[in-house]
Amino acid sequence: MKFLVTKDLAHSSLLANLMSAVVFVLLFYLGLDVVLHGYVIGFDIPSLQSTLYGNAENFEEPMLIDALLLQVHIDLFMTLFAVLILSSVYIRLFPKNKRTKKVVHAVFISGMTAPPALLLAYFTNMFFAYIWLVSFAVWHLSAVLMGLRILKKLLLK
Amino acid sequence: MKKYPLYKLPIGYTIFYTLLILGSGIWLFLLSQGLSGSSSILATLHKIIVLPEKKSWQHFAEVAAPHLFAMGMLIFTVAHFMLFSTRVSQYVSLFVAMLLFAAALFDISVYGLIISGVVLSGWIKLVSISLFTGIFLVLLFMVYVSL
Repeated sequence: MKFLVTKDLAHSSLLANLMSAVVFVLLFYLGLDVVLHGYVIGFDIPSLQSTLYGNAENFEEPMLIDALLLQVHIDLFMTLFAVLILSSVYIRLFPKNKRTKKVVHAVFISGMTAPPALLLAYFTNMFFAYIWLVSFAVWHLSAVLMGLRILKKLLLK
Repeated sequence: MKKYPLYKLPIGYTIFYTLLILGSGIWLFLLSQGLSGSSSILATLHKIIVLPEKKSWQHFAEVAAPHLFAMGMLIFTVAHFMLFSTRVSQYVSLFVAMLLFAAALFDISVYGLIISGVVLSGWIKLVSISLFTGIFLVLLFMVYVSL
Protein backbone atom coordinates (compact mmCIF):
# COMPACT_ATOMS: atom_id res chain seq x y z
CA MET A 1 0.00 0.00 0.00
CA LYS A 2 2.79 2.37 0.95
CA PHE A 3 4.50 1.65 -2.36
CA LEU A 4 1.39 2.58 -4.32
CA VAL A 5 1.05 6.09 -2.91
CA THR A 6 4.61 7.18 -3.55
CA LYS A 7 4.65 7.44 -7.35
CA ASP A 8 2.65 9.51 -9.78
CA LEU A 9 1.08 7.00 -12.17
CA ALA A 10 1.30 9.39 -15.11
CA HIS A 11 5.09 9.40 -14.78
CA SER A 12 5.63 5.78 -13.83
CA SER A 13 4.61 3.31 -16.51
CA LEU A 14 6.40 0.59 -14.53
CA LEU A 15 4.08 1.00 -11.54
CA ALA A 16 1.00 1.17 -13.78
CA ASN A 17 2.02 -2.01 -15.62
CA LEU A 18 2.84 -3.80 -12.37
CA MET A 19 -0.58 -2.90 -11.01
CA SER A 20 -2.26 -4.18 -14.18
CA ALA A 21 -0.29 -7.43 -14.02
CA VAL A 22 -1.05 -8.17 -10.38
CA VAL A 23 -4.75 -7.46 -10.90
CA PHE A 24 -4.73 -9.70 -13.98
CA VAL A 25 -3.23 -12.55 -11.94
CA LEU A 26 -5.71 -11.94 -9.10
CA LEU A 27 -8.62 -12.26 -11.54
CA PHE A 28 -7.35 -15.73 -12.46
CA TYR A 29 -6.98 -16.53 -8.76
CA LEU A 30 -10.58 -15.49 -8.07
CA GLY A 31 -11.86 -17.74 -10.87
CA LEU A 32 -9.86 -20.73 -9.71
CA ASP A 33 -10.83 -20.11 -6.08
CA VAL A 34 -14.49 -20.52 -7.08
CA VAL A 35 -13.64 -23.81 -8.84
CA LEU A 36 -11.68 -25.02 -5.78
CA HIS A 37 -14.51 -24.28 -3.37
CA GLY A 38 -16.94 -25.97 -5.76
CA TYR A 39 -14.87 -29.16 -5.44
CA VAL A 40 -14.10 -28.96 -1.70
CA ILE A 41 -17.38 -27.57 -0.28
CA GLY A 42 -19.90 -27.51 -3.14
CA PHE A 43 -22.30 -24.81 -4.23
CA ASP A 44 -25.63 -26.64 -4.55
CA ILE A 45 -27.69 -27.51 -1.48
CA PRO A 46 -27.31 -31.34 -1.62
CA SER A 47 -23.50 -31.18 -1.89
CA LEU A 48 -23.30 -28.52 0.83
CA GLN A 49 -25.43 -30.70 3.14
CA SER A 50 -23.34 -33.73 2.30
CA THR A 51 -20.07 -31.85 3.01
CA LEU A 52 -21.23 -30.35 6.31
CA TYR A 53 -23.50 -33.05 7.73
CA GLY A 54 -22.73 -36.19 5.70
CA ASN A 55 -25.23 -38.39 3.90
CA ALA A 56 -26.56 -41.43 5.76
CA GLU A 57 -28.14 -42.94 2.64
CA ASN A 58 -24.82 -42.98 0.77
CA PHE A 59 -22.78 -43.70 3.95
CA GLU A 60 -20.92 -40.39 3.52
CA GLU A 61 -19.25 -38.94 6.61
CA PRO A 62 -19.34 -35.16 7.18
CA MET A 63 -16.15 -33.19 6.63
CA LEU A 64 -13.83 -33.39 9.66
CA ILE A 65 -13.72 -30.21 11.76
CA ASP A 66 -9.90 -30.16 11.46
CA ALA A 67 -10.13 -30.07 7.66
CA LEU A 68 -12.91 -27.48 7.62
CA LEU A 69 -11.13 -25.22 10.12
CA LEU A 70 -7.90 -25.47 8.11
CA GLN A 71 -9.85 -24.44 4.99
CA VAL A 72 -11.37 -21.49 6.89
CA HIS A 73 -7.94 -20.48 8.25
CA ILE A 74 -6.41 -20.54 4.74
CA ASP A 75 -9.45 -18.79 3.22
CA LEU A 76 -9.17 -15.89 5.69
CA PHE A 77 -5.49 -15.43 4.87
CA MET A 78 -5.91 -15.65 1.09
CA THR A 79 -9.00 -13.43 1.09
CA LEU A 80 -7.23 -10.78 3.16
CA PHE A 81 -4.31 -10.53 0.75
CA ALA A 82 -6.39 -10.69 -2.44
CA VAL A 83 -8.83 -8.05 -1.20
CA LEU A 84 -6.11 -5.87 0.33
CA ILE A 85 -4.16 -5.69 -2.94
CA LEU A 86 -7.28 -5.11 -5.05
CA SER A 87 -8.72 -2.43 -2.77
CA SER A 88 -5.35 -0.64 -2.45
CA VAL A 89 -5.04 -0.34 -6.22
CA TYR A 90 -8.72 0.54 -6.57
CA ILE A 91 -8.54 3.34 -4.00
CA ARG A 92 -5.35 4.60 -5.66
CA LEU A 93 -7.14 4.86 -9.03
CA PHE A 94 -10.60 5.99 -7.86
CA PRO A 95 -9.96 7.97 -4.66
CA LYS A 96 -12.82 10.43 -5.09
CA ASN A 97 -15.43 8.20 -6.68
CA LYS A 98 -18.59 7.94 -4.53
CA ARG A 99 -18.91 4.21 -5.25
CA THR A 100 -15.38 3.39 -4.04
CA LYS A 101 -16.22 3.45 -0.33
CA LYS A 102 -19.26 1.19 -0.78
CA VAL A 103 -17.40 -1.32 -2.96
CA VAL A 104 -14.47 -1.54 -0.54
CA HIS A 105 -16.83 -2.04 2.42
CA ALA A 106 -18.79 -4.69 0.51
CA VAL A 107 -15.77 -6.71 -0.55
CA PHE A 108 -14.14 -6.67 2.90
CA ILE A 109 -17.31 -7.42 4.88
CA SER A 110 -18.50 -10.23 2.60
CA GLY A 111 -14.99 -11.71 2.42
CA MET A 112 -14.77 -11.66 6.21
CA THR A 113 -18.27 -13.13 6.68
CA ALA A 114 -17.93 -16.15 4.39
CA PRO A 115 -15.39 -18.35 6.28
CA PRO A 116 -16.94 -17.96 9.78
CA ALA A 117 -20.42 -18.55 8.27
CA LEU A 118 -19.21 -21.91 6.98
CA LEU A 119 -18.01 -22.85 10.46
CA LEU A 120 -21.31 -21.73 12.02
CA ALA A 121 -23.19 -23.80 9.44
CA TYR A 122 -21.13 -26.85 10.44
CA PHE A 123 -22.11 -26.46 14.10
CA THR A 124 -25.69 -25.23 13.67
CA ASN A 125 -27.83 -25.46 10.55
CA MET A 126 -28.14 -24.74 6.83
CA PHE A 127 -29.14 -21.10 7.40
CA PHE A 128 -25.46 -20.16 7.79
CA ALA A 129 -24.57 -22.20 4.70
CA TYR A 130 -26.87 -19.90 2.70
CA ILE A 131 -25.08 -16.91 4.28
CA TRP A 132 -21.78 -18.49 3.23
CA LEU A 133 -23.07 -18.93 -0.33
CA VAL A 134 -24.28 -15.32 -0.58
CA SER A 135 -21.21 -13.73 1.03
CA PHE A 136 -18.84 -15.93 -1.01
CA ALA A 137 -20.61 -14.86 -4.22
CA VAL A 138 -20.69 -11.19 -3.18
CA TRP A 139 -16.99 -10.95 -2.35
CA HIS A 140 -15.91 -12.76 -5.49
CA LEU A 141 -18.22 -10.70 -7.72
CA SER A 142 -17.19 -7.41 -6.08
CA ALA A 143 -13.52 -8.33 -6.39
CA VAL A 144 -13.91 -9.28 -10.06
CA LEU A 145 -15.76 -6.02 -10.78
CA MET A 146 -13.05 -4.04 -9.00
CA GLY A 147 -10.38 -5.88 -10.98
CA LEU A 148 -12.10 -5.28 -14.32
CA ARG A 149 -12.59 -1.58 -13.54
CA ILE A 150 -8.92 -1.25 -12.58
CA LEU A 151 -7.80 -2.94 -15.80
CA LYS A 152 -10.15 -0.75 -17.85
CA LYS A 153 -8.73 2.39 -16.29
CA LEU A 154 -5.10 1.30 -16.61
CA LEU A 155 -5.13 -0.34 -20.03
CA LEU A 156 -7.75 1.69 -21.92
CA LYS A 157 -6.65 5.18 -20.94
CA MET B 1 -2.15 9.04 3.46
CA LYS B 2 -3.82 12.46 3.60
CA LYS B 3 -4.14 12.29 -0.18
CA TYR B 4 -5.97 8.94 0.05
CA PRO B 5 -8.09 8.95 3.23
CA LEU B 6 -10.00 5.85 2.07
CA TYR B 7 -6.89 3.76 2.80
CA LYS B 8 -8.12 3.74 6.38
CA LEU B 9 -10.76 1.20 5.31
CA PRO B 10 -8.47 -1.65 4.18
CA ILE B 11 -6.16 -0.99 7.14
CA GLY B 12 -9.07 -1.15 9.59
CA TYR B 13 -10.48 -4.34 8.08
CA THR B 14 -7.03 -5.94 8.16
CA ILE B 15 -7.19 -5.73 11.97
CA PHE B 16 -10.42 -7.79 12.01
CA TYR B 17 -9.12 -10.33 9.48
CA THR B 18 -5.90 -10.76 11.46
CA LEU B 19 -7.86 -11.37 14.68
CA LEU B 20 -9.90 -14.06 12.88
CA ILE B 21 -6.74 -15.64 11.47
CA LEU B 22 -5.11 -15.69 14.93
CA GLY B 23 -8.28 -17.13 16.50
CA SER B 24 -8.69 -19.89 13.92
CA GLY B 25 -4.95 -20.67 14.17
CA ILE B 26 -5.12 -21.13 17.95
CA TRP B 27 -8.25 -23.26 17.59
CA LEU B 28 -6.48 -25.44 14.97
CA PHE B 29 -3.52 -25.89 17.32
CA LEU B 30 -5.80 -26.94 20.19
CA LEU B 31 -7.65 -29.37 17.88
CA SER B 32 -4.33 -30.94 16.90
CA GLN B 33 -3.61 -31.41 20.62
CA GLY B 34 -6.82 -33.33 21.27
CA LEU B 35 -9.46 -30.66 21.85
CA SER B 36 -12.84 -32.17 21.02
CA GLY B 37 -16.44 -32.05 22.11
CA SER B 38 -15.69 -34.22 25.13
CA SER B 39 -12.61 -32.38 26.43
CA SER B 40 -12.55 -28.79 27.67
CA ILE B 41 -9.98 -26.14 26.72
CA LEU B 42 -8.46 -26.29 30.23
CA ALA B 43 -8.12 -30.07 30.03
CA THR B 44 -6.45 -29.73 26.61
CA LEU B 45 -4.02 -27.09 27.94
CA HIS B 46 -3.17 -29.39 30.86
CA LYS B 47 -2.61 -32.26 28.45
CA ILE B 48 -0.28 -30.11 26.31
CA ILE B 49 1.83 -29.31 29.39
CA VAL B 50 1.96 -32.88 30.67
CA LEU B 51 2.07 -34.87 27.45
CA PRO B 52 2.07 -32.94 24.15
CA GLU B 53 0.92 -34.80 21.03
CA LYS B 54 3.72 -36.75 19.37
CA LYS B 55 4.55 -35.33 15.94
CA SER B 56 6.95 -36.48 13.25
CA TRP B 57 9.56 -34.30 11.53
CA GLN B 58 7.47 -34.61 8.35
CA HIS B 59 4.47 -33.12 10.17
CA PHE B 60 6.73 -30.40 11.56
CA ALA B 61 7.90 -29.47 8.05
CA GLU B 62 4.32 -29.54 6.70
CA VAL B 63 3.22 -27.05 9.36
CA ALA B 64 6.38 -24.92 9.54
CA ALA B 65 6.91 -24.29 5.81
CA PRO B 66 3.60 -22.53 5.01
CA HIS B 67 3.62 -20.75 8.39
CA LEU B 68 7.10 -19.28 7.85
CA PHE B 69 5.85 -17.72 4.63
CA ALA B 70 2.37 -16.73 5.84
CA MET B 71 3.41 -15.31 9.22
CA GLY B 72 6.25 -13.38 7.61
CA MET B 73 3.91 -11.89 5.00
CA LEU B 74 1.22 -11.04 7.54
CA ILE B 75 3.63 -9.40 9.99
CA PHE B 76 5.27 -7.42 7.19
CA THR B 77 1.92 -6.26 5.82
CA VAL B 78 0.46 -5.22 9.18
CA ALA B 79 3.71 -3.65 10.38
CA HIS B 80 4.18 -1.63 7.19
CA PHE B 81 0.92 0.21 7.98
CA MET B 82 2.87 1.86 10.78
CA LEU B 83 4.79 3.79 8.10
CA PHE B 84 1.64 5.90 7.77
CA SER B 85 1.38 6.48 11.51
CA THR B 86 1.87 9.93 12.97
CA ARG B 87 0.93 8.87 16.51
CA VAL B 88 3.41 6.05 17.15
CA SER B 89 7.12 6.61 16.61
CA GLN B 90 8.99 4.63 13.95
CA TYR B 91 11.42 3.33 16.60
CA VAL B 92 8.60 1.79 18.66
CA SER B 93 7.04 0.32 15.49
CA LEU B 94 10.39 -1.15 14.43
CA PHE B 95 11.01 -2.63 17.89
CA VAL B 96 7.57 -4.27 18.09
CA ALA B 97 7.77 -5.58 14.50
CA MET B 98 11.22 -7.12 15.03
CA LEU B 99 10.10 -8.62 18.34
CA LEU B 100 7.10 -10.10 16.52
CA PHE B 101 9.29 -11.60 13.78
CA ALA B 102 11.47 -13.18 16.48
CA ALA B 103 8.40 -14.49 18.36
CA ALA B 104 7.01 -15.97 15.12
CA LEU B 105 10.28 -17.80 14.40
CA PHE B 106 10.40 -19.07 17.98
CA ASP B 107 6.76 -20.20 17.84
CA ILE B 108 7.23 -22.07 14.57
CA SER B 109 10.48 -23.78 15.52
CA VAL B 110 9.72 -24.61 19.15
CA TYR B 111 7.86 -27.86 18.42
CA GLY B 112 11.15 -29.13 17.01
CA LEU B 113 12.51 -29.09 20.58
CA ILE B 114 9.61 -31.30 21.69
CA ILE B 115 10.00 -33.71 18.74
CA SER B 116 13.75 -34.05 19.29
CA GLY B 117 13.24 -34.71 23.01
CA VAL B 118 15.17 -31.64 24.22
CA VAL B 119 12.00 -30.48 26.03
CA LEU B 120 9.53 -33.09 27.27
CA SER B 121 6.74 -30.79 28.46
CA GLY B 122 4.62 -28.72 26.09
CA TRP B 123 4.70 -25.59 28.28
CA ILE B 124 7.26 -24.05 25.94
CA LYS B 125 4.79 -24.21 23.03
CA LEU B 126 2.11 -22.53 25.14
CA VAL B 127 4.58 -19.79 26.10
CA SER B 128 5.65 -19.26 22.50
CA ILE B 129 2.10 -19.14 21.10
CA SER B 130 0.99 -16.75 23.89
CA LEU B 131 4.03 -14.54 23.28
CA PHE B 132 3.40 -14.41 19.53
CA THR B 133 -0.33 -13.70 19.93
CA GLY B 134 0.28 -11.09 22.64
CA ILE B 135 2.86 -9.14 20.62
CA PHE B 136 0.64 -9.35 17.53
CA LEU B 137 -2.25 -7.89 19.54
CA VAL B 138 0.04 -5.02 20.62
CA LEU B 139 0.95 -4.33 16.99
CA LEU B 140 -2.74 -4.45 15.97
CA PHE B 141 -3.56 -2.02 18.77
CA MET B 142 -0.82 0.31 17.52
CA VAL B 143 -2.34 0.16 14.01
CA TYR B 144 -5.80 0.85 15.47
CA VAL B 145 -4.52 3.86 17.44
CA SER B 146 -2.84 5.19 14.29
CA LEU B 147 -6.03 5.07 12.19
